[in-house]
Amino acid sequence: MTDAKNTNGAKMNDATFIAIGLVIALIIGVAAVFLASGDPDGLESASLYVQGEKDLTSDAPEDADPEAVGLGTFEYSSPFPDYSWEDLGKMGDIIALVLGIVIVFVLIFGVSRIIKIKA
Amino acid sequence: MHIPDAFIPLPQAAIYWIIALIFVALALRWARNELSEEKIPLIAVLAAGIFAIQAFNLPVGMGTSGHLVGGALAAIVLGSPFAAVFILTIVLIIQGVVFGDGGITTMGANIINMGVIGGFVGYYSYHGIKSAIKNKFIPAAIAAWLGCFIAAVVCAIEMFIAGTFPLVPGIIAMGTYHAAIGIIEGVITAGAIYLIYSTRPDLIELDKGDA
Repeated sequence: MTDAKNTNGAKMNDATFIAIGLVIALIIGVAAVFLASGDPDGLESASLYVQGEKDLTSDAPEDADPEAVGLGTFEYSSPFPDYSWEDLGKMGDIIALVLGIVIVFVLIFGVSRIIKIKA
Repeated sequence: MHIPDAFIPLPQAAIYWIIALIFVALALRWARNELSEEKIPLIAVLAAGIFAIQAFNLPVGMGTSGHLVGGALAAIVLGSPFAAVFILTIVLIIQGVVFGDGGITTMGANIINMGVIGGFVGYYSYHGIKSAIKNKFIPAAIAAWLGCFIAAVVCAIEMFIAGTFPLVPGIIAMGTYHAAIGIIEGVITAGAIYLIYSTRPDLIELDKGDA
């Protein structure tokens, strides 16, 4: 890894930049467990609207199922559905999100390195 | 905007996958030829941050929430729309396979909407707007809003072709909700670019492509 201190205008070296970036990502991820909105997202909300379950600007009913319009062509069960670890409550959610953040970081780092080595 | 498996019939999902794979191949070629060694830490940290913030849904009113997608952010910071395709593809694979967020069969469509459209609209509108108003951050906010909004309208059209949503109500709902969610996209994109620019201006390619 290069020492970025001497390059044009860098105020932080690579290791510090990575560390601070990862800490920010982890803080956002953990905060999301406690603070993220549980309202349906834009696509789910649009789905409820076209099903007549809600008006454009009204709240969604608690029991409404955004996927009711779906075709049911394929079912896949993920290991940590909805970013949670079954039975572990909030701690499970935190573990799942931290795991995801680390996997994404390692994968992007790894794939980029491998691609560059092969080039 | 993550389309679940149930929303697109398999033959159409396959077509979106084929189109997405062409862009993924081009993104890998971009990474091999254009991504410099020094930027690998940046792209990895950016991807981790984008994954984290995508879990953070913020309420936008109308009984709806939304989160940053990050296509415009990745494309502007790394100076290529293919950076967005590269990052969003890996983020969407992990979200779909590990967390069940977004389908497996519909992952191609999700890569097109969030990576390709978010990245290309974000990148080219950023440089277009920046040449008109001489500022580094406001154009990023507008470009990110546009990337979010246009991707949502395209998603509504895909839902119509799939037979899942009716055309006009689908476009109205997707457009309305993502016009609001796009504000989150715009503010966070501009803020993140400001942060990176203040700490590591050497890593960021805000002026690439300017005449």
